[in-house]
Amino acid sequence: MEEVLAPMPGNILEVIVKVGDAVKEDDELVILEAMKMENPICSPVDGTVKEIKVKAKDVVEADQLLVVIE
Amino acid sequence: MIPYLKMKEFGKPLKEAQIKRMQESVAQTNEIMKGIEAEDQRIRNFGVPADTIHKRGQQTVWERIEYLVDPGMFFPLHTIYDPDHEESGSTGVVDGIARISGKWCVLIGFNNKWIAGAWIAGQADNNLRVTDMAKILNLPLVWLVNCSGVKLPEQEKVYANRRGQGTCFFRHAELETLGVPVLAGIYGTNPAGGGYQGISPTILLAHKDCNIAVGGGGIVGGMSPKGFFDEEGAEQLIEATRHFKETPPGSVNIHYNETGFFRYVFEEENQVLDALKEYMEGMPAYNPKFFRLSEPAEPKYAPSEIGYIVPVNQKAGYDFDNVVARLVDNSEHLEFRPGYGPEVYTGLVMIDGFLMGIIGNRQGLIPNYPEYTNEYNAVGGKLYRQGLIKMNEFVTQCSRDRVPIIWFQDTSGIDVGDIAEKAELLGLGQSLIYSIEESNLPQMVVILRKGTAAAHYVMGGPQGNNTNAFSLGTPTTEIYVMHGETAAAASYSRRLVKEKDASKPLDPVLDKMNEMVQHYYDKSRPMYCAKAGLVDEIVHFEKLRDYMVAFANSVYQNPRSICPRHHMMLPRLIQSQVVTGLERPKKEG
Repeated sequence: MEEVLAPMPGNILEVIVKVGDAVKEDDELVILEAMKMENPICSPVDGTVKEIKVKAKDVVEADQLLVVIE
Repeated sequence: MIPYLKMKEFGKPLKEAQIKRMQESVAQTNEIMKGIEAEDQRIRNFGVPADTIHKRGQQTVWERIEYLVDPGMFFPLHTIYDPDHEESGSTGVVDGIARISGKWCVLIGFNNKWIAGAWIAGQADNNLRVTDMAKILNLPLVWLVNCSGVKLPEQEKVYANRRGQGTCFFRHAELETLGVPVLAGIYGTNPAGGGYQGISPTILLAHKDCNIAVGGGGIVGGMSPKGFFDEEGAEQLIEATRHFKETPPGSVNIHYNETGFFRYVFEEENQVLDALKEYMEGMPAYNPKFFRLSEPAEPKYAPSEIGYIVPVNQKAGYDFDNVVARLVDNSEHLEFRPGYGPEVYTGLVMIDGFLMGIIGNRQGLIPNYPEYTNEYNAVGGKLYRQGLIKMNEFVTQCSRDRVPIIWFQDTSGIDVGDIAEKAELLGLGQSLIYSIEESNLPQMVVILRKGTAAAHYVMGGPQGNNTNAFSLGTPTTEIYVMHGETAAAASYSRRLVKEKDASKPLDPVLDKMNEMVQHYYDKSRPMYCAKAGLVDEIVHFEKLRDYMVAFANSVYQNPRSICPRHHMMLPRLIQSQVVTGLERPKKEG
């Protein structure tokens, strides 16, 4: 089980994946708007998206859980 | 050849999802390039039709270049450059890096379709850039002279000034004193300034119908002692003009048979070009194998894929290492200090088998950085203390090892505020300018996306007049002191407060702010950057490597200083990072 956390505070601009999607390492999961930039948050491992904890327009804190990969 | 340096593969293939997501961005970059290409075509079609030139027994400058240059080996610069808004929308010259008879040179020719190749507004600056290139790259300068002199109705924009049209002749003299030859093929009528365009080079190769002269027939006939023209003056002028039409001064009869200025005279246009090819064969040049450290190799990933990595959306992040991997031999590198200054990439690569330093901005979020504050986190594209120190170190080591540098800018500037000031960022930025200037290395820069604030200067920007050979833009280039929205906020925020406190409507101020945002946008687009000369050419991603290969071959053709490969320290410094902390091999038994 791999938990993908927000590296810094920001706004969720887009959630690219959905629960059940198969993902590979480095696949983009979420776009986090922070520091005036749109930053892709990528999967650290190959796996399946088990849970998505955020939706577009959510404001997140640093280290907040975004996605769980199984 | 066994590669001298063992490099490491890097870069990743594109992902399906990435290709899909970037389709729109790629379409936008293609549209931008179509606009640039259309402007190039418009300039080529401007002036006298090519058919008319042919009927005169002449070729256009583009036809001359095509015949002169090795097939596919002309890398144009300043194609749509027009800093002074000349009516042709150009500077009246065509130039670039070229290979002729296997030797690299800087090539420039007058556009004889527009007022017979006259000096026009903006051309002097174009010529300065071209002579700068020859000087920095230590390459022969080849001229296709066909110049009718000053565009007289606009002489005030052309003729005089410290860096005006005459500066070119001093630059030719400077190049010659530095041992850089200037070759000229001369066509058509070249009076006054045109005459000096003809006489100032080192080797003059003439077409039979050409002339070079201090002044043309028109100048001699136009002298009027009265200070105005009347019927009597007009009659004298008509008579004088008829006379000089018959015998233009400075023809081959004078400058071949009498003065001997012309080395050779040729009956046919192409014979002049053949002679230039022959002279180019004899230009000083090392065999490339003298400097190559490995066999040339294409990148493992296609440069055309870069459009799927670098988004037009200036706010979207991407993986810069994946861009570099699509531009360098074998997609291999030796990265310098990878863990230090993570917002910047510095590394050694091979370009066509030649060693080259690469420096560029990485993108994306960098948590727990910079090290000098806990108040905020870092974001790629911005420069912080470690990144600035790393670039200074890398440039200095490249200088020591005589490794030319290619810069890639996508920068939103240097970190600001008192915390950043305390971290010496202002001083470190200027230190980088010092390191670059002190290196005396030929460099080129690609403004991959944003060129912003002082970071545009310090990261190998075109302001480095002694080291920056040329600057390329791409379809995603955007150059301004700051983003338009930032500028509008900086300019009008106090005014907004004032209006609000006075209970006045904010709309007029907001209109001005939005106008400013639009102005910044319009004046930072790739087309504007190329027209104004903020870059020397806009190049599509798939052509970037071709220009890098031309640059690498040019700088290694005849370098003014050499570091033997086995004396280089930079590869050893990089390798020492790799082995740091490893134990000594244990003795057996």
